[in-house]
Amino acid sequence: MANNVLEVKGLSVAYGKVEAVSKISLSVGEGKIVTVIGPNGAGKTTTLSAIMGLLPSSGQVTFDGSIEQVPEVERMVVRGMNLVPEKRELFGSMSIEDNLLLGAFQRSRQGHRDHRETMEDVFALFPRLKERRQQAAGTMSGGERQMLAVGRALMAKPKLLMLDEPSLGLAPLIVREIFRIITELRQRGVSILLVEQNARAALQVADYAYVLENGGIKMQGEAEALRNDPRVIESYLGLASKHQDMLST
Amino acid sequence: MEALRIISDEHRSLAALLHAIRFMLKEAMAGRLTPDLKLFEAMVHYLDAYAEQRHHPKEDLLFGYLAERTTEGAAALATLGTQHAAAAERIATLQQALAGFVADPAQLPVFSAAFDHYADFYRGHMMLEEDTVLPLIRQHLTAEDWVAVNAAFVAEQHAKSGKTGHSEDFAGLFSRLVAAAPAPIGLGGGAFVPLP
Repeated sequence: MANNVLEVKGLSVAYGKVEAVSKISLSVGEGKIVTVIGPNGAGKTTTLSAIMGLLPSSGQVTFDGSIEQVPEVERMVVRGMNLVPEKRELFGSMSIEDNLLLGAFQRSRQGHRDHRETMEDVFALFPRLKERRQQAAGTMSGGERQMLAVGRALMAKPKLLMLDEPSLGLAPLIVREIFRIITELRQRGVSILLVEQNARAALQVADYAYVLENGGIKMQGEAEALRNDPRVIESYLGLASKHQDMLST
Repeated sequence: MEALRIISDEHRSLAALLHAIRFMLKEAMAGRLTPDLKLFEAMVHYLDAYAEQRHHPKEDLLFGYLAERTTEGAAALATLGTQHAAAAERIATLQQALAGFVADPAQLPVFSAAFDHYADFYRGHMMLEEDTVLPLIRQHLTAEDWVAVNAAFVAEQHAKSGKTGHSEDFAGLFSRLVAAAPAPIGLGGGAFVPLP
């Protein structure tokens, strides 16, 4: 992949003596959506956390052309990397607008004063947030919370946005909308590293994909190739019941 | 294989919409949700204008290539062809049940039963396509076939993107349906307001 915004080489993460992620390498091209799919416990969230500097790791992370020997969260945010965590981690008692403003905190500390314009960009992407801007984040539905979490990350104007299970716990209709927005972000030039258990949805929007199992990369390739790979179909896309889950309530 | 991605993508949109309608009907039948009639009408309109009128012709084009390459799956293709041809009748039945419900709220069970029938049909229809026909398409279409099919699909998407003024903006409609649908299946943005 030419012009990689992120290159990870030999990344390992251990919880005590247990190695959760073992010597994995991956890259994200500029303006691309790259997905990491795999079952529960494969090491997907651990991988994102380590890249972001939330967990100690070994290996090499190169972001936007510079090697980060020891990734550190605040510096990564300032440099243009941001993570939307699986649990959203919003401030429930604060308003939607204030949650968004917090997303621009590091950028404001660097002297940038464009947070109002950036917020309007976020509102253009998520009109629902604008309608409810003065309401407490804790009163929002699951879909709205996910949108706020993504919007807050976008307030930092990231070059690379990492999304951890953005579809988790959301109804199919909202999942469709979230993934539509993810593709729109790509059109706006944001590179995306997407971790998902919902392999079908992830492979629909991704350009390139990695399959993570037991802490190691088991397969990788163009998303289209993986979508049509019998091993991926059998293990992650399923031959039957694809729509049964959606239509069975 | 962009064509397969598009078909699969559209199936997921359709399945998500069917799921949402079924959820709302279940809640309405239980007395926990006041039905938003405009939202139901807009969702059924999407099923008609997008799924039945725009999605199926693309599949017919794709399935035609398979029929030229092999006799495998011929029975499934015949079934799907018959089902596609019955689209107008199928959606008319659903629309009629919805109109009855709009005119008389007591007709909710009739609409709900008609919708269940429609959704059950669609699940079987999509499963037949995805489990039987699409794998054969992956197996039998030639590189030249894929060039032609993908080009046709991309051209259709471009021509009917809703951004050229020559077709309805279905992506925009879908977003508005998501916004108006009640939580937890939608964003709970309140009553659906049709565009003028």
